[in-house]
Amino acid sequence: MRFSDLVHLCRQNLFRRKSRTILTVLGVVVGCCSIVTMVSLGSGIDEQNKQMLASMGDLTIITVTGANNTGGMGMADGSGTATARIDDKAVKDFRSLQYVAGATGHVTYLDAILTAGPANRYVDQNGVIEAIDMTQFDAMDYQLDSGRKPNRQGDVLAGQYTAYDFIDSLRPESDNFRMRPSYLADSCTPEQRAEGCEDKSDAQDPFFNILTTKITVGAAQTDDSGNVASSSTPTASNGQTAEGSGSGTQIQVSGLLKEDNGKGQATSSGLLMDIATLKDLVAKIHPDAAAGTLAYDSALVRVQDIDHVADVESQIRTMGFTTSSSRDMLDSLKEQTRSIQLILGGIGAVALLVAAIGIANTMVMSVTERVREIGIMKALGCTVHDIRAMFLVEAGAIGVIGGVIGCLVSALISLAINLIRYGGVSAEHLQWAILGNGTVDEAARISVIPWWLYVFAIAFATLISLISGFGPANKAVRVPALDAIKSNQ
Amino acid sequence: MAWLASPPPTANTDASIAPDASAVPDASGALATPAPRTARHSGMHPASGRPMIEVRNLRKEYVMGAEHVIALDRISLDIARGQICCIYGESGSGKSTLLNQLAGMERPTRGGVRIGGIVVSRLDERELAEFRQKHIGFVFQSYNLLPGLNAVENVAMPLMFRGVPREEREARARAMLRRVGLGKRLNHYPSQMSGGQQQRVGIARAFVTRPQVVFADEPTGNLDSKTKVDIMDMIRDFARENGQTIVLVTHDEHMAAYADRIVTLLDGRIVHDTEQDE
Repeated sequence: MRFSDLVHLCRQNLFRRKSRTILTVLGVVVGCCSIVTMVSLGSGIDEQNKQMLASMGDLTIITVTGANNTGGMGMADGSGTATARIDDKAVKDFRSLQYVAGATGHVTYLDAILTAGPANRYVDQNGVIEAIDMTQFDAMDYQLDSGRKPNRQGDVLAGQYTAYDFIDSLRPESDNFRMRPSYLADSCTPEQRAEGCEDKSDAQDPFFNILTTKITVGAAQTDDSGNVASSSTPTASNGQTAEGSGSGTQIQVSGLLKEDNGKGQATSSGLLMDIATLKDLVAKIHPDAAAGTLAYDSALVRVQDIDHVADVESQIRTMGFTTSSSRDMLDSLKEQTRSIQLILGGIGAVALLVAAIGIANTMVMSVTERVREIGIMKALGCTVHDIRAMFLVEAGAIGVIGGVIGCLVSALISLAINLIRYGGVSAEHLQWAILGNGTVDEAARISVIPWWLYVFAIAFATLISLISGFGPANKAVRVPALDAIKSNQ
Repeated sequence: MAWLASPPPTANTDASIAPDASAVPDASGALATPAPRTARHSGMHPASGRPMIEVRNLRKEYVMGAEHVIALDRISLDIARGQICCIYGESGSGKSTLLNQLAGMERPTRGGVRIGGIVVSRLDERELAEFRQKHIGFVFQSYNLLPGLNAVENVAMPLMFRGVPREEREARARAMLRRVGLGKRLNHYPSQMSGGQQQRVGIARAFVTRPQVVFADEPTGNLDSKTKVDIMDMIRDFARENGQTIVLVTHDEHMAAYADRIVTLLDGRIVHDTEQDE
């Protein structure tokens, strides 16, 4: 028998019992829908997690913060001693560990005031200066937003949003700052706007271009800086003070870093430079302070890939250091996500199982009421193989049809869920709901259907149908031709 | 004898083998040669002088609960090519059982059946299906058309099992239906036709593959007497035309009159075997 004839016969049989076929297919549609929708919610959680993690920065960075002398980290059995210190030798040791891509000592210098612009009118009272070993810049995978990479002695980089930290000391206090676009609301209602709400449409550039404007680094007056700087005292005089004192020194930022919270605050707001450069700078603005005080406060270690973070981290701990990384959080996040996905998938699977029982029932009924037909076919020379194939094709067809319709319905359900989450139908929302929105981290989809899920759902529905049809098909094969033909004489 | 020997003979039937076998001298020589094993590898032997159907020492027992019912016993029978042979008997005489053994629908308890040189009782399920496709046609008492298929599709069904392409088999089916006088009802479904019309579709279906043997089980059992005559004429004419062998099972004496030969069964044994002229 030809396959096309099998398909033709199967179509006729399914059409002959229209209502039963429709109900069985409906069962598969519901089963398929529930499994696709449930898994899509699970994938949605994945997408939300991914966007959340992306905002947390590089996950392969381990921060080594000091000596592990308490043993509280569960590594007390190691040779951890109170003498473990983060120095050049320790950093070198870290760098020689397996899977480590790069390591650098890290210094944070907080005693500086940054000023810029005509008459130093733009002031950043709490300027953060961080220093690393710039030879590790690429190994640590620092990313640039704009400008050029540090390749000369004395190059200084600024954080992506450093320029927003400067206030204009000549403006009134209520309007002397510029907000980072990411701090602004997506949109404000007119009522909120009346109360001072600002949204993305209000975003303004910082007061000056940090790549083209020289910045003056001055020493903070530790006694009264907090008061002086934030008070309405004209900062021009402050700037004059700085210039007058001769402790200020001018620098030119050569590049803008991309924000990465795993690699220090300076990538976001502050200045980043080589340790030697910082030493020179401190010597100029704080001649009285000993340069030797610039000890490493921590070390940053970058692991080649995320799978080895735990491994490297435990090695560093056995060396006697305290560490932190995003691994713990990542692990628990993953575990939590997985259990939610399992529960969701389980609910979907139960629905598909019910559908499978429905198919099996339909096929058993179909065999029972067609016993006579099967007998006739056998008598007329239909092979056992063809009879089995006939029933399997029927069951498979129910699965394929149900699976395809189920996928279409699931796509609509998923679209509806996402549109509800975005708060309405618009061209932009439709685009987000279908294609995802990788850039706006607050706009992750709730329901995400990857293409393989459609393939899987149809294949799974078909497989389940074939399995359910297998028993009845074998029952049909065993129908004795004779009894069947006699059965209604 | 190889094809007879499958179940070991018991004391009960031992004695009957030799006389039965020797009673058919023209067949015994052929029996000595190894019988073709399957229908697949051998066609019929149309030119040979051997009978179309050979039955040797056939026995069929049914187990019904604790009882053994002997439905057929010591049946030996040769049916010549082109013969219309009637198996006549009251209900319960074992005639339907014999038909089932002949057509390979059931396996005999002992003994063998050979059709066109092929040992039917030895074929496996798949070989039997192919054997039926190629060499056997069936006409049933209750027509047994598939209700979901129209007349053309019903007639074309045996050809479909053989893998004949749709266009070709439906053309052949239509031609066949015109010959049985149903040219105007090609696309009717069984439920839209009278019993006589349905049986004509059944006959068209049985002959569409040009089988060597057609088994007809009470083909007129459900019909009125005028239609009975039409149907029997039709079966006889088809058979004569192509030299086909017909095995007609009936308990109706009028129908038996159409046959060249009447084999009468009683309680599972042949009690009469008469040839008759028309």
